[in-house]
Amino acid sequence: MPRSSDTIAALATPAGTSALALVRVSGPDTAGMAQDIFGAPPPPRHALHGDYRAKDGRLVDDVVATFFPAGNSFTGEDSLEISCHGNPFIAQTILEDLFARGGRPAGPGEFTQRAFLNGRMDLSQAEAVMDLIHARSERALAAANQQLRGGLGRRLNDLTERLLGALARIEAYIDFPDEDLPKEDRAIVRRTLESLASETDRLLATSHYGELLRDGIKTVIIGAPNAGKSSLLNRLVGHERAIVSAEPGTTRDFIEERIIVGPHCLRLIDTAGLNPAPGGIEKLGMEKSLERAAEADIILLVLDTTAPLPTLPESLTKLLTPNRVLVALNKTDLLKAQAFDIKVYSSLKSVNVSAVTRAGIESLVTEIIRMADAFQPTSQDDVVAINARHADALTRAKVSLQTALANLAASGPVELLASDLRGTLAAYGDILGKVDNERMLDQLFATFCIGK
Amino acid sequence: MGASTLLLSGNIDTIAQMSCNPAIGGQAKGQMVRELDALGGEMAINTDVTGIQFRLLNESKGPAVQAPRAQCDKKAYQFRLKHTLELQPNLQIFQATVTGLLFKAGKVVGCQTNLDIDFLGQTIVVTTGTFLRGLMHIGQNKNEGGRLGDFSAKSLSSSLTEAGIQLERLKTGTPPRLLGRSIDFSKMEEQKGDTHPTFFAFHDTRGPEEMFHVEQSGERRIGWAPGSEQVSCWMTHTTAQTAEIVRANLSKSAMYSGEIVGVGPRYCPSIEDKFVRFADKPRHLLFLEPEGRSTNEYYVNGLSTSLPFDVQLDLVHSIPGLEKAQLLRPAYAVEYDFAHPTQLFPSLESKKVENLFFAGQINGTSGYEEAAVQGLVAGVNAVNKVRATAPMLIQRNEGYIGVLIDDLVSKGTREPYRMFTSRAEYRLLFNHGSAEFRFLDHAKTYNLLSNNRIKNIEAKQAKVTHWVDYLEKTRNTGGTWADAIRRDRVGAVLPEELAKESAPVRDEVVYRVSYQGYLAREQRQVEKLSQIEKIRIPADFDYPAVRGLRRESALKLAEFKPMTLGQASRISGVNPADISILMVLIGAGAVRARDAS
Repeated sequence: MPRSSDTIAALATPAGTSALALVRVSGPDTAGMAQDIFGAPPPPRHALHGDYRAKDGRLVDDVVATFFPAGNSFTGEDSLEISCHGNPFIAQTILEDLFARGGRPAGPGEFTQRAFLNGRMDLSQAEAVMDLIHARSERALAAANQQLRGGLGRRLNDLTERLLGALARIEAYIDFPDEDLPKEDRAIVRRTLESLASETDRLLATSHYGELLRDGIKTVIIGAPNAGKSSLLNRLVGHERAIVSAEPGTTRDFIEERIIVGPHCLRLIDTAGLNPAPGGIEKLGMEKSLERAAEADIILLVLDTTAPLPTLPESLTKLLTPNRVLVALNKTDLLKAQAFDIKVYSSLKSVNVSAVTRAGIESLVTEIIRMADAFQPTSQDDVVAINARHADALTRAKVSLQTALANLAASGPVELLASDLRGTLAAYGDILGKVDNERMLDQLFATFCIGK
Repeated sequence: MGASTLLLSGNIDTIAQMSCNPAIGGQAKGQMVRELDALGGEMAINTDVTGIQFRLLNESKGPAVQAPRAQCDKKAYQFRLKHTLELQPNLQIFQATVTGLLFKAGKVVGCQTNLDIDFLGQTIVVTTGTFLRGLMHIGQNKNEGGRLGDFSAKSLSSSLTEAGIQLERLKTGTPPRLLGRSIDFSKMEEQKGDTHPTFFAFHDTRGPEEMFHVEQSGERRIGWAPGSEQVSCWMTHTTAQTAEIVRANLSKSAMYSGEIVGVGPRYCPSIEDKFVRFADKPRHLLFLEPEGRSTNEYYVNGLSTSLPFDVQLDLVHSIPGLEKAQLLRPAYAVEYDFAHPTQLFPSLESKKVENLFFAGQINGTSGYEEAAVQGLVAGVNAVNKVRATAPMLIQRNEGYIGVLIDDLVSKGTREPYRMFTSRAEYRLLFNHGSAEFRFLDHAKTYNLLSNNRIKNIEAKQAKVTHWVDYLEKTRNTGGTWADAIRRDRVGAVLPEELAKESAPVRDEVVYRVSYQGYLAREQRQVEKLSQIEKIRIPADFDYPAVRGLRRESALKLAEFKPMTLGQASRISGVNPADISILMVLIGAGAVRARDAS
């Protein structure tokens, strides 16, 4: 049985100080725990206002708790939601108390996993919830919600239905060669396949946007040593006071921070300074910085206005295109600051800032938001962010559509054309669930008068 | 297999009588007949010997979707098969109508007949065709029977219902039969047979002694060499007048006046259906098919109807060439009982009643070929059951027989089920020429072919494998021989030694080489899926106790009792999340069982 043998608990709201924090509990011991904590069996699906008393009897906080019996909860198991005051210490105490009562910390995504295993959601919903959990910004949240409501599902269903129509047109002539069918018109099939290919492409294009939403927009800070890169990073991080994580870069040469600017999540990456004449180890670090810059969605080029314009390596200047680069003219607070001649970079947007006095930081953030905005698809209903698994399936769909189109162009064997279309169908089905062949037959018999 | 068997039929003269059109094969059906031949079935030989017109369908398309079709001499087909049965060792034939089954402790033990003679048997195969509470409609006129002039099996249904088997109604129809000398063929287009007929049976792996045993018995001869002296079919079409007659009389049709409750097939609509559902199509094609060499009767393929007789007359006379045609038999619709095939194991044994097997129309199928393959599987498994040996289970990836049985027992059917090549996921692997190789293991395991033929098939297979390997590995000008075949397709030159091999070997080698990429891909899919096909679900698995399963799925699974996870995944309404849960549970169970042992 998937009946989980243990009870899990975790903080459902982001760590940090906020007005309220939500602690979620799920598993077979939940009802027992709730009765022990509040002294009475909790009424199902009703918010109960009461005192949270720890195992040793001391009062922790006054909380609002809601009990969801198995079958009516998110996970499909008995579960309890406790809203306490947002002080991190209180939430932590409650969690520790729950662990003392036999609960254990939930692994990442474990609530969703249980919901999935208990049949409370399908794979695509489960994935959407996982993304929701990992959503780091408002936009990501919107995309995850959209998918959950079936935005992706609706579009794929539409593609599938049209593909079935094209397949029915092919299959009719294979399975009913002796029938009185109208002359076969493969141009209709070709037009359908072409539009499917381009829409599959459009969905695939959201793959990178999806990555941006989940992982953040990769923003690489680059500049000469002592241009003020690290201070600027600290200033940006401090500006919003919303550090999502502070993890070291993948190599010791980098510092990476996640910040929220406007509706966007940024992965802010600080790099080693670009020295025009680097020595051994430094050279290695610089190469890595350049690699980072090449992968960046946004490059934040920091220039020290008190120093001469540095000579940047050619491999970097190649990367400096207006839609991805923002120049921060730093140290404008200093007397030494000069009317900096940046005509070399005249096509690039620049902002005067001082990492020390914080002057110009607001403008810099505004510019970053504007650039980040450009990453989202133009139409609002295009907020469909596909994940890596979807991208893999859609890529397979696209490849078999292209093979099918090549077959059509060459008037190749029709059963191979059908085989490729079935490949496409299976690929769409990998996201939405298997497509029953009956649906193709339904279209076939609706389109053609079959039967002698 | 050598089991002692009794065949009961209400009228043994109508064994193998073609109730509908006098033709065998066609798309998917033709491939199934060849599969049947690979398992020792009789249909292929019988068709070859009694066929009067042979055509290979889809000749312009690739080998995977080519299928043989033959018009047969209806009476010759029927009597030769009866004769074959008479010569079959261990088989007793007796004329009696089964009126009920005898049960003991949830198992079937025998049957009762209209002659008040009871017969006992360890296993029973029920093949009722359209006779189970058969009811024929011609307009408002109703006659009990499974076929015009024949009876209806009335009381057997209640016996099945009492045993807990759910029955429901299906409907099918058949067109009028006309007198040939009243037809003006000069107004029609002739359709001739192929100059080189494609036969159904694998003649190249048979010794002369197992070719035509009826003919060789010296008792009776069909009188013509297979494929010789072919006769033609004729094409005509409906007219605007036909459409008008149909529309004006729609309310008199049994199907449109609510007389018929059974569900009819979408692929074999009545002429009423065609004009109603495809109103913008001005005319419909009709084929006149000869019913035999020694009869002047013609079958009007495409004119199935349940309109009253007087309307049928007008209808027929509105068609070019049929202005003065005489009707020998009217068209009619027939309704009959079928048992939902989801009540069967893939062995075709009933889940409700042990030792009871079903085959043919009673399982919701339509067509001689669909019925024949089930008859073979049910028959083989009825013997396996008696001997307590493992049932012959034909998988979906082995051939159309596997697809048919899996569709029936996993998904059931709402209309008379007919096979289409598009029902098969691995159609390219199911080319008709490879049937013997695909079913060789079953044929050996269950002793379905002579040792001599098994030896010949193995030798043929070795040749095919050798040549495919040779072509792929041996270089010729500008790449391997295989590259050249894939490049030049039809015009490709073959090595001299291969060109000397028999046509079946050559064709199979060229097919495998030309479609190599696609065949390999389907093979990979088969292997991938066979993982979940292999995961067996314990027979006593308690679905409702699984908390994760949605209620709908749990009920469906509990009802269908799939044997493997693969089968479970094809049950409608069971979604991938349900399968994931089952996989986790069964996987966990298997691990626990292993740890415990």
